[in-house]
Amino acid sequence: MYDPTIRTAIEVVSAILCFILLRFMIKPYKLTGEGRYLGLPLGFGFLGVSYIIGALTFSEIILSFRQLAYLQLFARTFAYCFLVVTYYFSKKPLKNSRIKWNITLSLLIVALTASIVPSIVIPEIAANSYQATQAYVRMFNLICLLYISIHTLRSHIEKPDPTTIWVPFGFILLGISQYSLLIWAIDGSIFAFNGALVLRLMALTVFLLVSYLTFRNPSKKVI
Amino acid sequence: MKKIPRRDKLKIYGDLLMILNNQSKTEKIILSQVQMRMGVPFDRLKNYISELTDLGLIENEHSFKLTEKGRQYLIEYANVLDFMRRMGLSYR
Repeated sequence: MYDPTIRTAIEVVSAILCFILLRFMIKPYKLTGEGRYLGLPLGFGFLGVSYIIGALTFSEIILSFRQLAYLQLFARTFAYCFLVVTYYFSKKPLKNSRIKWNITLSLLIVALTASIVPSIVIPEIAANSYQATQAYVRMFNLICLLYISIHTLRSHIEKPDPTTIWVPFGFILLGISQYSLLIWAIDGSIFAFNGALVLRLMALTVFLLVSYLTFRNPSKKVI
Repeated sequence: MKKIPRRDKLKIYGDLLMILNNQSKTEKIILSQVQMRMGVPFDRLKNYISELTDLGLIENEHSFKLTEKGRQYLIEYANVLDFMRRMGLSYR
């Protein structure tokens, strides 16, 4: 059964979790000052924004549902893109990757603007193309999450440690959640839809636990 | 011989602080031993030490030791590196 109140509540909780995570995700960038780690806070920030837009869309406060849903779709896709490029560039030597990172980030920002502005200026575009766009966009999101899951799993396999398995697990949960949303977008299965929301909350909780245990565990002997 | 990857200053400072902190717990710090562990030329090591002293991260009374600011920096540095490792991000 689909309940808009529960849906809105889940979107709000997801957004809160993302904005809490943002505080932790910005730390690598703040410490190293390297642009390539900026994708991590940008990614979780955009995810949070997409959930806020989702909450507004499904609470029916604002009536232009299709336009907002379109914005939400793209905000989430760019969130995953920022995460993918950060993971991609984190493996590259710093010396060669700085210019490439700057170019990639600029291109992503241009692409983001180019995808979102038309739907704001001409709302009919968003309204007419939402249904067709969402299946492709969700498939693209799934590919992004697959890449991040493989990347983090490989890092875990290179240096196996019980503490490094949780993040790939979280991304795999997000990937399955995205897959369930794809099924929902295609055949309207409400079971897939509810499963996707639960899996998303589980994934964000995993990330939050990992961050909290790293920075807040008083028993951890750092020095 | 295994090639040591290029490190930026941040990593060098972090590694140096960690070595100085570990050594100061057990023995008097001998710079040649620090140099061996760091894998940098002696004159460059002396430059790094003087930079860390200027930044107020270490002090040289009878032997080198971390200041409170240095200890806080090291805790944050170790936490962030641990977080990046857990997130599956490499730092090189």
